[in-house]
Amino acid sequence: MANEPTRPSAPDGTTAQYRSHATPSDSGTLRLVAAFVAGAPFAGLVAAVEVAVVTAALGVPLSAAPVAVGLVAFAVYAADHVADAEGDIGSTPVRARIALRYADQLMVAAAVSYGLAVALAAGAGPAALALVLVPGAVWIGYATDWLPAAGDLVAPLGEVSVPRLKDVFLLNSAAVALAWAVAVVAAPLAFAGVPVDSAGAPAVALLFAYVFARSFVDVEVPNVRDVAADAARGVATLPVVYGVSGTRRALLAVDAVAAGLLAATAATGAASTPALAALGVGLAVSVTVTALADRLGGAALGVAPDCSYLVAGAVLLAIGW
Amino acid sequence: MAALSPLSVALLVAVTVGLAAAILAWRERPEPGATWLAVLLTGQVWWATFLVFELEATTLPAKALWYDVQWVGVVAIPVGWLFFALAYTGYDRYVTPFSVALVSVIPVATVAVAAAGDPGDLLAVDRVVRETAVGTFLDVVPGPLYYVIAGYTYLLGAVGSVPLIQLIRDDARPFRGQSAALLVGTAAPWAGNLAHLSGAVPIPGLDPTPLAFAVSGVAYLLALSRFRLLTLAPAPRRRARQLVFEQLHDPVFVVGTEGLLVDLNECAAETFGIDRRDAIGEPAATVVPKYDAIRELDGTDADKPRPIPIVGRDGQRPYEATVRDVVDDHDRTTARVITFHDVGAYLGQQQRLNVLNRVFRHDVRTETNLIQGYAEQLRSDPTDERALSIIEESAGRMLELSERTRTAGELFDPTEESETAPLTDAVDEAVAEARAVAPDARIEVGQVAPVPVPVVLEVVLGNLCTNAVRHNDADAPWMRIDAAVADGWVEVTVADDGPGIDPAEYDVLDRGTETPLRHGSGIGLWIVKWGVDHLGGRISFDEREPTGTVVTVCVPVDRSETPGADSDGEPPDPPLDDSATTGESASLGPPPNAGR
Repeated sequence: MANEPTRPSAPDGTTAQYRSHATPSDSGTLRLVAAFVAGAPFAGLVAAVEVAVVTAALGVPLSAAPVAVGLVAFAVYAADHVADAEGDIGSTPVRARIALRYADQLMVAAAVSYGLAVALAAGAGPAALALVLVPGAVWIGYATDWLPAAGDLVAPLGEVSVPRLKDVFLLNSAAVALAWAVAVVAAPLAFAGVPVDSAGAPAVALLFAYVFARSFVDVEVPNVRDVAADAARGVATLPVVYGVSGTRRALLAVDAVAAGLLAATAATGAASTPALAALGVGLAVSVTVTALADRLGGAALGVAPDCSYLVAGAVLLAIGW
Repeated sequence: MAALSPLSVALLVAVTVGLAAAILAWRERPEPGATWLAVLLTGQVWWATFLVFELEATTLPAKALWYDVQWVGVVAIPVGWLFFALAYTGYDRYVTPFSVALVSVIPVATVAVAAAGDPGDLLAVDRVVRETAVGTFLDVVPGPLYYVIAGYTYLLGAVGSVPLIQLIRDDARPFRGQSAALLVGTAAPWAGNLAHLSGAVPIPGLDPTPLAFAVSGVAYLLALSRFRLLTLAPAPRRRARQLVFEQLHDPVFVVGTEGLLVDLNECAAETFGIDRRDAIGEPAATVVPKYDAIRELDGTDADKPRPIPIVGRDGQRPYEATVRDVVDDHDRTTARVITFHDVGAYLGQQQRLNVLNRVFRHDVRTETNLIQGYAEQLRSDPTDERALSIIEESAGRMLELSERTRTAGELFDPTEESETAPLTDAVDEAVAEARAVAPDARIEVGQVAPVPVPVVLEVVLGNLCTNAVRHNDADAPWMRIDAAVADGWVEVTVADDGPGIDPAEYDVLDRGTETPLRHGSGIGLWIVKWGVDHLGGRISFDEREPTGTVVTVCVPVDRSETPGADSDGEPPDPPLDDSATTGESASLGPPPNAGR
């Protein structure tokens, strides 16, 4: 189960659970495809839907923003999976195996995706270009050794060591959430060429805070699954520090704040009501997933939080956006 | 936002492929050239991106702003190209912070001028917005700095292309493919820019250079993925070849066609005590040992190298010299490579096998037959004291032979090689051995300098001294040992008044091989020779009046302290004892034709 630590049982870091699931050959290819789709492509799809829903919520014209942000999300997560493949063997073995085996192909796909996203953004103007560069820049500071290397350069004697953003408790999830909140909320405006004032500054700010809170929850929930691997690597996450129960309570509190932000956004009257309703349904899904965090399987926990946006998107389509 | 112009769409294609290639190149760091290729591609992406902004801008000031911003990418491209080409092809010694700073002076100045608002119209004399069928352009009338940076860009592009063009002619197909893709990627925007500068583009104000970056991006992507541009870079090859030349354990000299020394490796400098900086450019005859003899190895002799005794820092060693011509692409000989191969160990091993074979085949069998014959005689007459005495003497000789064989083996024990001892101790030890063999002998010890010598010299002197008194048939054998030091060489002279050594004995040593009909007796002299060879020295024999022999051993004092070889590559002539004659002398350097 997800709340059971998956201790490495073999020198290569694989677990008994992993091996027993990987053994059946007839379902191996299907599992690989599923794991691939559940990785970076899924993240890209979710990001695109997220931007589309926010576009609807802000009432701005539909633009290339969902596509561009989706491509950036795919590129960032594909690069992240390749960069951390060896460390992810314990928590997401199938995805890690794909990342190790197809590292070059994934990086080519990620590079082309990012290039395409930047080209789309450049076509939309300087503001859109700057926004699209934000997630990539944050990822460089988040996952690569650029910050520690820069820290060593500044303080070569080692008195002050700068860690990777990914290894800093709470700041890691907050940085990711902030990057996506900027991209998701600002991209529709920038791509459509709509000033913040025209869309309603309070609504924009509240939606930004909402997306930030929701993204924070979405980042921390899968950490319940990764608790053993993160603890082994010395990465501090909410489940590592406060345990699964404490994490669940904290994330439900954040979801409650998000619900409040959504309500406040609705109160401004500047946002689209059907879109806010769709986001509310998605929030309900998120609360359910958070409540069941310790009962969902590892693979399900990896995609369930983000599914809330897909549900929101489906609801939005269903109610006639 | 309004629909993009077709030109902008084309530029965005260039942005897509260029940025993808830049990310992939950046990922390959620290492979040679990866960082600079990323700089080059980022420059292209920068230029194309801000050109889109310029094209889509609607006012002259906005277009002028984006035009000025493009200069960052414009000037980064040639710098990235030059240093990528140098690093990628192995000329990374030219990629230094200083060279980068130097090359970047003009580009940085250009950006500074653009950032300062182009004071004095250095970059653009005039800027006009022109409406065309494919978009609204900022038509710029270039200023003087524009032409400077354009010429500078072409210069860096040409310089960077040279090593890559060389790769096209390489035997390795991947490198040819890489190089071709890179040159296509560079030539496309180059051609576009030439068309712009020459006025060949029919649309006024349109610089098609950034458009060609789409071609560049595809070419670079192809080079990165198909030809493994950065994962299979040729950069290490130059270093590796140089490393092999430098680290080769054989001395190598490169002599130009005019007979002047072009290069030599570290081993040559170390072995022969040559200062590389002074030697290069000097006539080869004054630097390369035995150059006159080696020069004769042209033609048929080149295929049959023969050992040449040469004195270096390690003393005298037999080297086998081979000469190879360096031929250019037009089959012209541009230099000759002379390689010295130290064959001392090989020749010594061959000699030891020959001698030990003879010892077992001849000496041991002779003694055994002797013992067997006199043992049968004792069976018939147990009181035959003479037979008993002969058996005892024969057994003693076999025991001594066994001991000397063991000593000969120890001479080549590598653990003994680096040990040294004072020369006085070595002489005392040798004299003590001689006194033990012949207590009645008159032994004189002359001046002995307290210099360090290898311990192997103890074995050599011990054998010489014991031989001097053992094979002396005088009632009171006389022996004298002297040791002098000159120019880093120790010369030890052992003189006796015995019957002398049969010249056939050291003739065999001189020849280096034994045959069933021509061989020495025992292995004592061989031990002396092997010990001296092992030390890189030489030995000579002289007759003494009225009777006796003078043996002179000349070895280096200490390898680490021995100065460079003499200009003629020979140790100094050994000082002769006053009582010695100069009649017959046999120099026993390494045998000239041993084993050939």
